[in-house]
Amino acid sequence: MERAIRDEAVDVHALEPEAFLEEVHSFEFWFHSVQGYLAGQTFGHRPDVQGAPLAPHERERLVTVLCNYCVGETAALEGASGLVSIAPNRLTKVFLATQVADEGRHLEVLLHRLGELGVPSPETEIERRASRSLLHFKRRLLELVQSRDWEAAIFAQNVILEAMEFTVFQSHARTADLVTREVLQGIVKDERRHIGFGENELGRRLQASPHIRARIGEVKKELDHWVLESFEETLREIGVPNEERPELGRNYLEVVARLGFA
Amino acid sequence: MSADPLLRHEDSEEATPRQRFLLEDTGFDEVPPKYRRFYRKWKGPGDTLAPNEVVCPVCKVVIRSTRELRPGDRVYCMPCMSRLVVVRAEDGGFEARVAY
Repeated sequence: MERAIRDEAVDVHALEPEAFLEEVHSFEFWFHSVQGYLAGQTFGHRPDVQGAPLAPHERERLVTVLCNYCVGETAALEGASGLVSIAPNRLTKVFLATQVADEGRHLEVLLHRLGELGVPSPETEIERRASRSLLHFKRRLLELVQSRDWEAAIFAQNVILEAMEFTVFQSHARTADLVTREVLQGIVKDERRHIGFGENELGRRLQASPHIRARIGEVKKELDHWVLESFEETLREIGVPNEERPELGRNYLEVVARLGFA
Repeated sequence: MSADPLLRHEDSEEATPRQRFLLEDTGFDEVPPKYRRFYRKWKGPGDTLAPNEVVCPVCKVVIRSTRELRPGDRVYCMPCMSRLVVVRAEDGGFEARVAY
């Protein structure tokens, strides 16, 4: 099939909705997007960027936080790869393939960062420091994928988990050491696609099949507790003051409100 | 044939010619080069939007158009893959709503 978009001077807003969706779900779009911000980087940051030495207590907290980011990214990697087989059409399958690549990269750069911080065996350290609530969330997410519940799994992964990561990583990047900051900023750029995919895919599904709303509402009710607990734990570890935490949680609340789950 | 509601404009506003804008690359690097001029980073609460700009409610990127925006216009946020419609906000300005 001839690609709908060739003109360098194309007005993106004049595209027909179908042409837009075809474009943004494609591997071609993904490749030229990530090339813009990952080219020239090594393990998610510019090779010449050095982090200032961290005090022992700062390093300890950062290691715990990064270990839990790895749990979240592993959940998303396993979840997205499982979702490819139950995705309802070619566009969603191809998009999820790009998300799998993103999540694999995230896990790799975070593990590498743990190595740079002197953690000899990151996998062992992750097991030791993983948050109970995040592990519970991961288990439930993978159960939803295994049960082939497309809408519930997309909600858990690309709405709940990705919204939380998007907010936490953005917040953490503002105060992190230079290396960690660049790693997180690169991940956030990928996360924009993931949260948008989740919200739009689920929004379209809810419009077409309103009866699924009750089921998604139940999933939200069940998972909210685990997500918010894990969100709180991470914000505490990265030192976000209490008074700023509700503001950060607002992003997730806005997403679920737009989908009609306020 | 019914008109696409996303492309319908307020009559009184449509009678006034729209300003046109020449978009330049602002360094936004999250979409392929040919689309970059249509987006820029949101600089926070102090950031002022031009008449051809609106913030994406999903991912908070500023979406730019080659023409002045008006209620009913359809815009796309490529960084988060969202289709949006411009509406008048309570404060009199414009905001974008997601059109699933």
